[in-house]
Amino acid sequence: MKDLLRRLTSIPAPSGREEQIRAFIQAELKDYCDELTVDTMGNLIAFKRGGKTKLQFAAHMDEIGVIVTAIDEQGFLRFSNVGGIRPHRLYAQRVRFQNGTMGVIGAEKIDDLKQLTLEKLYIDIGATSAEEAKTKVAVGDIASFDHGYLDLGQRVVAKALDDRVGCAVLIEALKRVTKPQNDLYCTFTVQEEVGLRGAKTAAFGLDPDLGIALDVTATGDTPEAPKLAMKLGQGAAIKVKDVSLITHPQVKELLTTLAEQNGIPHQFEVLPFGGTDAGAIHLTKAGIPAGVISVPCRYLHSPSEMVDLNDVEAAVRLVVATMEHPITL
Amino acid sequence: MQTEKLLKELTDAVGPSGREDRAAQIILDFFSNGDGRCWISELRRDRLGNIILRKAGQGEHPPRIMLAAHIDEIGLIVTALEDGFIRFSTIGGIDQRVLLGQEVIVHGREDLPGVIGAKPPHLQQADERNKAVKIEDMTIDLGLAPERMAALVRVGDPITIKRSCGTLKNSFYAGKAMDDRAGVVALVECLRRLKDYNHEAEVLVVITVQEELGVRGAFVSSYGLNPDIGLAVDVTHGEMPGLADYEGFKLGQGPVIVTGPPVHPLIFDKLKAAAEAGKVKYQVEAAETPRGTDAYAIQIAQAGVASGLVCIPLRYMHTSVETLALDDLKETGRLLAEFIMQIDRAFLEGLECY
Repeated sequence: MKDLLRRLTSIPAPSGREEQIRAFIQAELKDYCDELTVDTMGNLIAFKRGGKTKLQFAAHMDEIGVIVTAIDEQGFLRFSNVGGIRPHRLYAQRVRFQNGTMGVIGAEKIDDLKQLTLEKLYIDIGATSAEEAKTKVAVGDIASFDHGYLDLGQRVVAKALDDRVGCAVLIEALKRVTKPQNDLYCTFTVQEEVGLRGAKTAAFGLDPDLGIALDVTATGDTPEAPKLAMKLGQGAAIKVKDVSLITHPQVKELLTTLAEQNGIPHQFEVLPFGGTDAGAIHLTKAGIPAGVISVPCRYLHSPSEMVDLNDVEAAVRLVVATMEHPITL
Repeated sequence: MQTEKLLKELTDAVGPSGREDRAAQIILDFFSNGDGRCWISELRRDRLGNIILRKAGQGEHPPRIMLAAHIDEIGLIVTALEDGFIRFSTIGGIDQRVLLGQEVIVHGREDLPGVIGAKPPHLQQADERNKAVKIEDMTIDLGLAPERMAALVRVGDPITIKRSCGTLKNSFYAGKAMDDRAGVVALVECLRRLKDYNHEAEVLVVITVQEELGVRGAFVSSYGLNPDIGLAVDVTHGEMPGLADYEGFKLGQGPVIVTGPPVHPLIFDKLKAAAEAGKVKYQVEAAETPRGTDAYAIQIAQAGVASGLVCIPLRYMHTSVETLALDDLKETGRLLAEFIMQIDRAFLEGLECY
């Protein structure tokens, strides 16, 4: 699992530019499903036959990033956000463009941190002129954080664990599942960070009976953290509510029962901010019951997100249990 | 069942967004075993819990009218257990300033009575006295020891305000969840009136879920039904001290017919014509935004639906003392029935050429 997480998080794939990560997951899954398709939006759908009920899983491949809006005379790049980015998390970070160009984020002189907005920041790619900069980068190019993977033993740190850890859980579950009892549509979605866009069209195309998103959730287990019940190392989180979804009672019941029956460590999640692909899935067409299995994650939307491998393992086991349980709703 | 009784029973019932079952059961009972059984042709529930009550129209291709009112209410939800107290967040747009000192019911493994406590004024610092307490800093006390609480309450359990609907003078009613159980009762009134009439249009009354979380039930039910015309029935602000004239509508002066972004101009005109034909006193509101009611979801369902919005004036919205006049609710039902009687194939063709 550590190796899979390391490789998944090392690939740059900001929203809208998921080509590299998609190719990686395609190669990883080609021997573990009946069919692999890519839809118009770029969602990767791994299908595995198993039963009557159409069960969609969704983990998003994209990560937050920055997009170049202008290149000034001296060759500095101005940029805007792709997904939810806070300026103070960007300052002095390194970013990598799709073509491999690297840059660092600098800030104009400010007297007070409160004045730090995206407009005060710029990317320095080491160019000495606009002409030189334009040979490497164009307006509209998207970059993502460049930050190494860190193995802390039971816990690992990397950029883009939101939601490569969800991708890893789904890949591992597909490899482990032996007797699927439902038709499995494992979707690796695009553009989640810019408004659940890939999941919306994937669900419309598939029209499943049940949708389950795999994503990360925030925790309340750090100094002076928001008062949240979720903790690292306490198991897979079964979501009850976030801004995009209130979990269908039967889906919450199903996941809870499966976790209890299989002795899978789990915790319940209420997240007063944020949303996941399940938010888009459940409002598709005439309505689709949906839920979320989350992996608790510290320092969300930073270049150093942290998860606990016990929670990852619990999430894999809960996904496999769901795949192997004949579902009727 | 009398209108008053249904309103009291419905508003007292528990049904926060996403967990509407207990309130919904009252409607299901009424239309499968009660008086309402003979008023409709079909009853069903969709996958997210919306209740659909269909009354057949006439002819092979009757105009199909969807009428929506939401049964969910705003509420609270357990976010963490802390030393025998409950931390909580909101379900829908709760005003945190009206929470302190409220009695609540925590819907754990059983219904548990609780109170939202407040720091005594004697112990407040000077700077605390003039500030509203934030919801993150409030807790619920069940009187239970931490171990016992952990056995009965889990993160994610819903919480509702405990409040029994009361009667004021002049047939005014005050209680929780009038938004929008009053609309639901108006739709029941509408069906009661229609039972003795033959109308060309097929009537699809939808008791929607999860409106308070972003008109979610209306999104999926209107997609599933794909009606020709859709009306949302909800509440609007009643006049009270501190509001400008245009912000509040008079209680007891009839339903409010809304015009603006969520409303098709021909539906607005037709609603006024129906009110005039039926001698229903009405008021007019200009909506400032397309969002905020089920009409928003209905309007943009599938290839688009000609939509309208009728509201019942309500004071103190999103508190546990939402106050309305019973007459307005009955008159709203009468207006909707009049509107349905007037819709025919020719009117639909007029919409298509709009």
